[in-house]
Order: sequence, then structure tokens, then C-alpha cells
Amino acid sequence: MRVRKRMRLRKSVLIFCVAASAMLALAALPTVEKSIAAGPPAAEVKIDNFSFTPATLTVKAGTQITWTNADDIPHTVVSEDRSFKSKVLDTDEKFTFTASKPGTYSYFCTIHPKMTGKVVVE
Amino acid sequence: MNPFDPKAALLAKHAQHVVLIHFPIALFLTGVAFDFAARCTRKAALEAAARLNILAAAGTVLPTLATGILAWQWQLEGQKLKGLLLLHLALGCTSALLICLVAWIHLRRRKAAGSAFPVYCLPLELLAAMVVALTAHVGGFLSGVNVPG
Repeated sequence: MRVRKRMRLRKSVLIFCVAASAMLALAALPTVEKSIAAGPPAAEVKIDNFSFTPATLTVKAGTQITWTNADDIPHTVVSEDRSFKSKVLDTDEKFTFTASKPGTYSYFCTIHPKMTGKVVVE
Repeated sequence: MNPFDPKAALLAKHAQHVVLIHFPIALFLTGVAFDFAARCTRKAALEAAARLNILAAAGTVLPTLATGILAWQWQLEGQKLKGLLLLHLALGCTSALLICLVAWIHLRRRKAAGSAFPVYCLPLELLAAMVVALTAHVGGFLSGVNVPG
């Protein structure tokens, strides 16, 4: 009798644990989705063929801008007022800047000053 | 930035290197070509032309090297180089050394009038010309001149 009772108890504890884990996982799912959705807005600028694409980027304040060097040549991303400045970016390297203050930021590549771009933060 | 615009060439911090670099390349390669021609034809005039071109190339090496290093310090704020930029720096320094070495050999021979050129002089000139051409090629890629389209 005692052995049977123990077996039943173990079975019910196991079922409870599995059910509780499943419920916790389901409850966490929308939170994960919410936290992804609540991340900062992002924008991308591609560096290719000695130019920034798009040449002028308009974003909302707080947007995270990522420059990716898709060129075979190293480039830099430096704003004229030096509010942001990247290291030398080799092929496929990235540089990220969060535009927090509204305004217009003109930037260029220090290796190739002919390469210019603009970020307009609203 | 137009390298042939005098204002841009004189005032921009990095532009002088792009202008000056053409002098040692052109003078040295021409000098080597004259030297090869002089050895084939045994003409003293060609030998003198070769010597003058190579000496002039050596004279322009120092400002070219200096402006290249200044461009690195000013435009890239001396940050650690890698990839093509590092390769260009290493090849540039090697080219400068080889040009100066060839010029020194020519100068030494001029002082010791009548003495023959060392046997390694022509292969050394050929090697230097190849390294100079390779440095120029990498530099052309970096500046965007050698990029197709």
C-alpha cells in the first residue's frame, strides 16, 4: 500500500513539475517578443564602391545607425563635428552610432574625403 | 579632392602624399629603364641619364615617405594599421630603402670613376622596380584610382 502511495505521489509531483515548466515557458514567450520589439530603432548605411548608401539618412532621435563596409578597400566614418568617429573598417566590418541629439550630421571617409554622407536626426 | 588642385594639394593634410608619390615612382622606373638600355648599348649618356633619374628618385623618397606617415598620423590619428594599409606601409618602407640603396650604388660608382657596377646591381634594380610597382598598385587601390569602373 505504502509503495503504491509513494508511486502515485511521485507521479503527481512529476506531472505538476512538467505542467508548471510548460506554463512558465508559455508565460515568458510574449515577454521575449515584447523585449525584441521594444529595442531601439535601427538603420543601416552600406559602404560600397566608394560611396555611402543612402547618402542622406533621415532617422528619429535614438535610432541606432550601423555602417557596414561592403567594399574591398578600407574606409572610415567620421562626422565633420567629430561627434562620431570610426576606426578603419576593413571589408565586412561594422560601426554603430546611436543618434541621440536632433540635427544634421555631415560625415566623410578620412581616407577618401570625396566620400561624404549625411545623417538627419529628427 | 583633386590632387592637381594646388590649393587642395598644399592645404589638405593628407593630399600631398598622393601628389608627391608620382615623382619617385616615375623617376626610379625611368632610371632603371635607362640603366638597362645603357648596359645594352654601352652609351655613357644613357648611363648618366639613369644615374640622374635614380638620384632624383632617391631625393624625392624622403618627402614622399614623410607625407605618407603624416597622412597616417593626421587622417587616421595614428591608429593601428591592418590589411591593405599595413601592406602599403610595409611595401612603401621597403621601396624607399631599395631606391636609396640603388642610388647609393650609383653614387659610389660615380665617385670611384672607371670601376665596374657590381653584378648584383641589375637584379637589385629589377627587384626594387617590382616592389615599387607593387607598392604603387596597392596605393592605387587604397586611393581608388585602380578600382575598376
